[in-house]
Amino acid sequence: MEFFAWLESTAIAQAIRTVPWIYPALETAHYIGLAMLVGGIMLIDLRLLGLARRLPLRPVIGLIPWVWAGFIVNAVSGSLIFVYGATNFSGNTAFRIKMVLMLLAGVNAMIFTIAAARGGRTWLDAASVPATIKAIATASFVLWLGVLTLGRWMAYI
Amino acid sequence: MAFLEWLQSTRVASFVAETLWAYPLFETLHTLGMALLIGALGLINLRILGYKRELPIVGTLDLLPLAWLGFSVNLVSGLALFTSDAVYFWSSITFKIKLGLIVLAGINAFVLSQSVFREARAGGTAAPGAPAKLVAGASLVLWVGAIVAGRLIAYLP
Repeated sequence: MEFFAWLESTAIAQAIRTVPWIYPALETAHYIGLAMLVGGIMLIDLRLLGLARRLPLRPVIGLIPWVWAGFIVNAVSGSLIFVYGATNFSGNTAFRIKMVLMLLAGVNAMIFTIAAARGGRTWLDAASVPATIKAIATASFVLWLGVLTLGRWMAYI
Repeated sequence: MAFLEWLQSTRVASFVAETLWAYPLFETLHTLGMALLIGALGLINLRILGYKRELPIVGTLDLLPLAWLGFSVNLVSGLALFTSDAVYFWSSITFKIKLGLIVLAGINAFVLSQSVFREARAGGTAAPGAPAKLVAGASLVLWVGAIVAGRLIAYLP
């Protein structure tokens, strides 16, 4: 595709290709972001599924800004890594599946926001987590595990 | 070193190095273990530093099994990856720095387990003092350092 070839020819892509430390720095940032994003999400999901019940739900849900911060770090670092190898990445099957899974994870997060707000958030103070929320948490865990896995397999598929 | 050469000539090593899916599989596990470990330990250390006081410290300790799971997954997957190319990894200064940071982080965790964790389990409600906060802060820095060093093994001597 011409667009991807153009992306690769931009000054940003050329800078990433020619300055030796930029690419490793982007990869490192992507890993730190991953730890915040996936580490945070899995922690929240596992708490919703019944791990560490002594942790009150409200402050655990309050960890979501960490997830957003990780997401932003990875959206920026990931976009720059993509620009650097746009023609290669765009045709990569693992990358395409990773993007689809992220989209699904985003839709799932929106469903969570809607489901969590129902009934004035009273479920946050209840003894047990509603089955709907648990189902959403399971989907979230599985989807992000998929994103992480496909990201790692991009170099091999 | 003879031992390292023997190690990478073992069947485990050739399995990891030569089977098409083994290396990416262990890499994926190493990334997943990192997310679980950092997610759990990150929150425990941040709580000691005073973040999210609504979370009881003793409750955050329920996340320790998750941290141990992440650590065990990464010990096993890390050993598998190391074995596949033992001489190379051992010759890498960056790899040795990563190991050193993990050892220091382990000592840090031990110090916390003998002080803050013990007090919290005994029903202590007092906020952790400056020494505990220093150790928790150092722990966060050390783990981030281990992630950075791990990512840079491929790029630095």
